Amino acid sequence: MIFRAYYALVKSPRITSTGKNTNAQFGFLNTLMDLINNQKPSHLAVCFDTKEKTERHTDFAEYKANRQETPEDILLAVPDIKKMLQGFNIPIIEVPGYEADDIIGALSVKASQAGYKVYMVTSDKDYGQLVNDQVFIYKPASGFSKAEVLGPAEVCAKWDIEHVGQVIDMLGLMGDAVDNIPGIKGVGEKTAAKLLKEYGSLENILDHADEIKGSIGEKVRNGKADAIMSKKLATIILDVPCVFNEGDFALGGWKEDILTEVFNELEFRTIGKRILGEAFQVGSKTEQQKDLFGNVVESKTSPSVQASSVSTESNFEIVENKTIENTAHQYFLADSEALRKQLLAMLTAHMDQGGEICFDTETTGLDANRCELVGMSFSIKASEAWYMPLPAGKEACIKIIQPFDTLFQIPTLTWIGQNTKFDLLVLKNYGFEIKGELFDTMLAHYCFEPDGKRSMDLLSEKFLHYSPVRIEDLIGKKGKNQGNMRDVEIEKIKEYAGEDADITLQLKEKFLPLLQENGVETVFRKVDTPLIKVLLDMEYEGIRIDTDFLHAYSKELEILARESEERVYQGAGVRFNLASPKQLGEVLFEKLQLDPKAKKTKTGQYATGEDVLAKLAREHTICDEILSFR
Amino acid sequence: MIQPRSGRVHTTFGQTIAVTGRLSSINPNLQNIPIRTERGREIRKAFIARDENHLLMSADYSQIELRIVAAMSGDPNMCEAFRKGLDIHTATAAKVFGVDEHAVTKEQRYKAKSVNFGIIYGQGAFGLAENLSISRTEAKEIIDNYKKEFSGIQKYMDDTIAFAREQGYVQTLQGRKRWLRDISSQNFTVRGFAERNAINSPIQGSAADMIKLAMIQIHAALKESTLKSKMVLQVHDELVFDVLREEEEAMKKLIIHCMQNAMPLPYDVPVLAEVGSGANWLEAH
Repeated sequence: MIFRAYYALVKSPRITSTGKNTNAQFGFLNTLMDLINNQKPSHLAVCFDTKEKTERHTDFAEYKANRQETPEDILLAVPDIKKMLQGFNIPIIEVPGYEADDIIGALSVKASQAGYKVYMVTSDKDYGQLVNDQVFIYKPASGFSKAEVLGPAEVCAKWDIEHVGQVIDMLGLMGDAVDNIPGIKGVGEKTAAKLLKEYGSLENILDHADEIKGSIGEKVRNGKADAIMSKKLATIILDVPCVFNEGDFALGGWKEDILTEVFNELEFRTIGKRILGEAFQVGSKTEQQKDLFGNVVESKTSPSVQASSVSTESNFEIVENKTIENTAHQYFLADSEALRKQLLAMLTAHMDQGGEICFDTETTGLDANRCELVGMSFSIKASEAWYMPLPAGKEACIKIIQPFDTLFQIPTLTWIGQNTKFDLLVLKNYGFEIKGELFDTMLAHYCFEPDGKRSMDLLSEKFLHYSPVRIEDLIGKKGKNQGNMRDVEIEKIKEYAGEDADITLQLKEKFLPLLQENGVETVFRKVDTPLIKVLLDMEYEGIRIDTDFLHAYSKELEILARESEERVYQGAGVRFNLASPKQLGEVLFEKLQLDPKAKKTKTGQYATGEDVLAKLAREHTICDEILSFR
Repeated sequence: MIQPRSGRVHTTFGQTIAVTGRLSSINPNLQNIPIRTERGREIRKAFIARDENHLLMSADYSQIELRIVAAMSGDPNMCEAFRKGLDIHTATAAKVFGVDEHAVTKEQRYKAKSVNFGIIYGQGAFGLAENLSISRTEAKEIIDNYKKEFSGIQKYMDDTIAFAREQGYVQTLQGRKRWLRDISSQNFTVRGFAERNAINSPIQGSAADMIKLAMIQIHAALKESTLKSKMVLQVHDELVFDVLREEEEAMKKLIIHCMQNAMPLPYDVPVLAEVGSGANWLEAH
């Protein structure tokens, strides 16, 4: 599970501010929470391998010998994961000399004998041998597939065998490259399944090896010793010294202090808040009473804490991200001519002293060329901001912004913003152009940390430990029913928009030294920043499209595609859904047998990507047709 | 996608998406408009000048990534080939197969081209053999010859990886950085991925820096002049302009000048940009 979690995120790693990769911890935690919340197990334990050599290693020196070194990030993740498990009060089971597979197998037998339904959480197909009407495989969801529960019927279907006992016969015959189990040289999955159908077991196949004809017979006769050893290696050992203790395995009672510590260390702010935030409601809530001078006078603890024996008093609130509710701020509304004058005077005075202005626009949508302005916010000092609402009509809106144009025209004034290209394009569509310099926080972050994401909320959480008000709280979740900024009550927008400008200003203060420390200020100032206005003008300009041509061409392509599709079906001798990679793979590699060594993807389907087809196209015209269809 | 107010499509450029420093675009994504197949290229016909008084002009860099490889490595043979204005793949083939440039066969040129691009993408003998459908022995021989003739490139690749291992990052000619946290991993899959990025990122990123600087210069030059033509698209190593017909010659000159001089390369490796025009993007390209 840990490896899987690590590799699922390997291309977009999560890195903490101290440079620690937390892919494995994060992925594992997510899987674990998904399991607990959605599958609602009553009992749970997690088994680990140990460094000790097992019987399999002493029997067969090559066992797992082809494995690469475990990435350091994973090795470093294991102690964190164990700590999280302690925090969740989930037992960690390790038995020196036995693999996690064996322990899980042994515990599954014991728990099922005690009357429990057991789910082994794994994506390892070898566990198929343990499945029965009380014991199942739970294969968690991955980027490629939904979660699956595999019982005896599913296991047999996957392996194309009669009963689950034959899983180890299959592995004995075909081996397992992942664990370096040899199997019989030259015997693959299909041959193995065919042999088992005829003879029932590996032993029976070997007994009748002389009757098996052709090259397969020869391979089997030469591979007897390998097959017997391979089956032994693949057999999960059930005789493991471990006990199933119902009380210990029962889920419940988190140790919040441990979880708080580990989430804090791994900088799991969002998920940490999600987990511990929920726990607060049911578990412990500590309210601090303060006197007039802000001193803590007593801790009032709700009774539920005392009732729960394991929940320790929480100090999570101290490390929890700040929010608008618990952070001092002053966001003002500039919704009258007098107040707008006051705002403009203040901004002008600030500029005269060499200051910079942070700004943001609120709009009715995300398409800068189509949306309307709803308001603008400004900040020149941390924790302070102004929000200026704007009316719906374009003319009326322009009239209100007009006085600020004197500021926009000043070439030496620096404007700070997050994704300023958007705001500038919106303004340009109202006829305003900011002539000054720009400091874009999103672009700055890109220069010193090109990997990963950089929305303002994320940046704020990472660099300011502050969770901004979420747009969903104002206009609802993304989708058809999402509302419009225009309809949100003014007080709410003021807080939201003021916060945006305030946070962005604070981010700029954090980012400037980071640009310098990382030696990327030059590329930021000389290349990326001046490009903002270039791209802005290009986006504003747009390019004309010959729609008649596009319509005609798309019809033409449709006809060509239809023709290619038809020729594929003729070539294949069967009609199927050509757009389905799964069906296509089965047709190409099972029905037509184009490539005996066809590769499969992680999801177990045949690979039918462009590269695969292009290679086959040299000999098989059907692949050419598929490519041109695409 | 067409905006009613202007009757045009207004793509949104992503300046903070691609880790290498390249630009991206959405609505529509211009990067994935196919160019390799004829049918895909036809789609470019749909992009047209704003009216009869305008035409579309397209300018793109020629062999820019290989020129950058030559300039960053300083490999004498490759720099020399570019300075002489030779066809780089033919020149490469002549060296690798030890024949006269005039005697290079089509097949040899094709193989040399694959090696040249293989370098950019950090591909080894195995990848080359796969691509060319040749034996791994032959691929290895070609690569060995290549390394001998263009020893500066091999040295540059080794040095870059060593630099990355020591410093934790690689950088472009403009100092754009990419951090490679896995460069010293004991796991060879993870490490290999980082090593390919170590080679590829400075090359792609420097090409991105160059076209960005050219865009900034062109934009400034247009603003200063009385020219009314507009720069409208950027995709890969190419810029597209909506050009007023009477400004055609002036624009060609301005664009070529800015593109070729925006970021001079070390070792006097020349930068070449080519420009064309027509009623639509396909004709212009």
